Amino acid sequence: MKVDHSQPLEYSTEQNRLNILGFWIFLGAEIALFATLFASYFLLRNGTGSGPSDGEVFVIDTLMIQTFLLLTSSFTIGLGVHAMRLGRKTATINFFIVTLLLGLGFVGVEIYEFTQYIDEGLTLQTSGFSSALFTLLGTHGAHVTFGLFWGSFIIYQLITRGLTPETANKSFIFSLYWHFLDVVWIFIFSFVYLKGMI
Amino acid sequence: MRELFPAKQVMGYFFSLLLTVIALAVYFVDMSYQVAMTILLVTAFVQAGVQLVVFMHAGESKDKWSIYTTVYYGVFIALVTIFGSLLTLIWGY
Repeated sequence: MKVDHSQPLEYSTEQNRLNILGFWIFLGAEIALFATLFASYFLLRNGTGSGPSDGEVFVIDTLMIQTFLLLTSSFTIGLGVHAMRLGRKTATINFFIVTLLLGLGFVGVEIYEFTQYIDEGLTLQTSGFSSALFTLLGTHGAHVTFGLFWGSFIIYQLITRGLTPETANKSFIFSLYWHFLDVVWIFIFSFVYLKGMI
Repeated sequence: MRELFPAKQVMGYFFSLLLTVIALAVYFVDMSYQVAMTILLVTAFVQAGVQLVVFMHAGESKDKWSIYTTVYYGVFIALVTIFGSLLTLIWGY
């Protein structure tokens, strides 16, 4: 394996560079996936039947907490990648742990929010609006949950193997995934929640 | 310790918090639907751009061109899917 020391570790081999490009292409497909979910949500938004509508169930407090947690986690994983490029293993691991804890907080608040919706009579089967809403939020939440497991295994590898071209590459790709989820959340925050509450 | 908090990323973080606060204004301040939607569209897309460039390092490798192409292509598909559906099924044409 040819290692190019003029590049950051995560780009240092041909394989690494291609892994990162490949992951970007995957993210391109993810953009299309979420677009279909957003499209169905916008189409079904007014189909509330006899159930509650968006303005009746959305709560600004949980929304602000979720947004703050995810934005901050996106920042901390960015710092993690920065520390990785400085070769600071412990700092990298700590930033990744903080990121995952913030992500865990996000999922926790989202689950709490879902139970509130169910208490108010909004379940997956209530209306076109509710099924599109739960599918969109649930797909995003499932991605974050998957990321928690993925990130934990990456941290484990960083601890046992240290910063190698391989683990640095995996960590960098995971950071791309995490930032992407934050971007999707920004659109949910703006065009599902805030648009529904004005 | 200081070297762990690069100015570019700290600024990016504060900027994204600022954009979030501006977006939240549509809920807390009274304004027309058109103005509110304009604010949301601008803050959301600027926010996405900040993430892409500052945090995801989209432009730093020699695959820059391929990466931006795949992202723009994805965004194009997304906009066509969303606005095409709205146009044909809700707004009418």
